[in-house]
Amino acid sequence: MTPRLIMKLEVSAVADAAPGVRVLTFRHRLRPTLPKPEPGAHVDLHLPDGRVRQYSLCGDPADATRYTIAVKLEPEGRGGSRWVHQQLQPGAVVPVSAPRNNFRLAEGARQHVLVAGGIGITPIAAMARHLARCGEAFELHYCVRDEASAPLLPELRAACGTRLHLWRSGGDVPSRFDPHRLSPLPQPGTHLYCCGPHRLVDAVLAASAGWPAGSVHVEHFAPLYDAGFVPEAFQLGIASTGATLEVPAGRSALDVLREHGFMHPSSCGIGVCGACECGYRVADGSTVIHRDVAIDDTARVHRMTPCVSRARGRVLLDL
Amino acid sequence: MPGDDGTPHWRGTLLHIHVAQAASYEMEPLDEATLIAGRGIEGDRYCLGTGTYSKLPAVRDVTLIEIEVLEALARNDPPLQDAPLLIDPGQHRRNLTVRGVPLAHLVGVRFRIGEAVLRGARLSFPCRYLEQLLGRPVYQPLYNRSGINCAIEQGGRIRVGDRIEPL
Ligand code: FES
Repeated sequence: MTPRLIMKLEVSAVADAAPGVRVLTFRHRLRPTLPKPEPGAHVDLHLPDGRVRQYSLCGDPADATRYTIAVKLEPEGRGGSRWVHQQLQPGAVVPVSAPRNNFRLAEGARQHVLVAGGIGITPIAAMARHLARCGEAFELHYCVRDEASAPLLPELRAACGTRLHLWRSGGDVPSRFDPHRLSPLPQPGTHLYCCGPHRLVDAVLAASAGWPAGSVHVEHFAPLYDAGFVPEAFQLGIASTGATLEVPAGRSALDVLREHGFMHPSSCGIGVCGACECGYRVADGSTVIHRDVAIDDTARVHRMTPCVSRARGRVLLDL
Repeated sequence: MPGDDGTPHWRGTLLHIHVAQAASYEMEPLDEATLIAGRGIEGDRYCLGTGTYSKLPAVRDVTLIEIEVLEALARNDPPLQDAPLLIDPGQHRRNLTVRGVPLAHLVGVRFRIGEAVLRGARLSFPCRYLEQLLGRPVYQPLYNRSGINCAIEQGGRIRVGDRIEPL
């Protein structure tokens, strides 16, 4: 997990977008613009009790003056949406992170197929607005119970026109989305994106099982904080000597290296500075558990921080 | 810069005060602030114990950086990156931005800002964490010029525009 700036943003508008769905707009109190969001990105809302909730940005990604989220009230949920619905009125100030994107539009795609179910429309709405503005080829399948319960529908109709296909599961004449209408073998360069209830996502994944690797994208939120992390013992191999050191559950790899005479550089000891960063390899069946905020996701494939990061099984350090 | 009698003489100005309530929170500008001896700036993460480095033993009651460094980065001097690097005073995550203060000479030195007295503890080290928060390559450009961590020997009010002098 890489750290992101947390800004205290002010709620500038609150509106009901559908029964139980509230749209909130945030602005910076001191600056006219915010870090620019990519289509598909989400932000973290930091609740007063320390919990963190992730919400996709559903506004126009070209507008960096504000962030817009849509939050569905989940009466049986863990309380994040209740807090948003009850406490956030215009003028309220909330810690909101800079956006992060785990759900990117594929670069260089020739055609985009977007599928959203219910409140899963939020990241998809930002993608659709972006694609419409850039004049790219896309279609949007929006699955709802009925029109009245479809958040953001007027905006999406305006932005997408006939590229928006609305599918209704309720009402007098239901018209359900059938994932099998997705071509089993799409045109080259076609990318598929899906966000919504598990049932919809699973059905879309099953129907697109034959699509080329990397062309099907679903939104998933990585856990941010692992307060419940339980360290386990693992083995540390040293590439230059072939030695194997045992790292017990209660100690860090850096500690064990020190004890064995390795003068490995380090500074913070808590995974933020990157001073102890080191190359590694793992054998099949072993994995590295990255617990720092110093190395970005691309480098993590071959670099780790022995001060806080651990492994399951055996990791070979380039030392 | 010793004077004729060997005492250092320089005189600087406090340009900006910034605090953040916790790690990763955006720094917020203040016109004035209260320094608490042995702890930090009222309302700042290192005073509250909520900073990224709060659990580490080193002194970091308050951190300072020179505006001259930010100006050099804005000129891309030395040319370490492709283009000038604009970092505004709220972004570097040091508390006080100063002009005319030779920070690199202040390790172990006592100096006055407004009503407060600080003592230079150790030079700051740039960190990858800052680089990732900003999403820009600042690690190398700030190497050896990313300011100083200070202890607060005597607390008191400080204000933007205050004079800074050696003791
Ligand atoms: S010592 Fe700082 S990241 Fe490991």
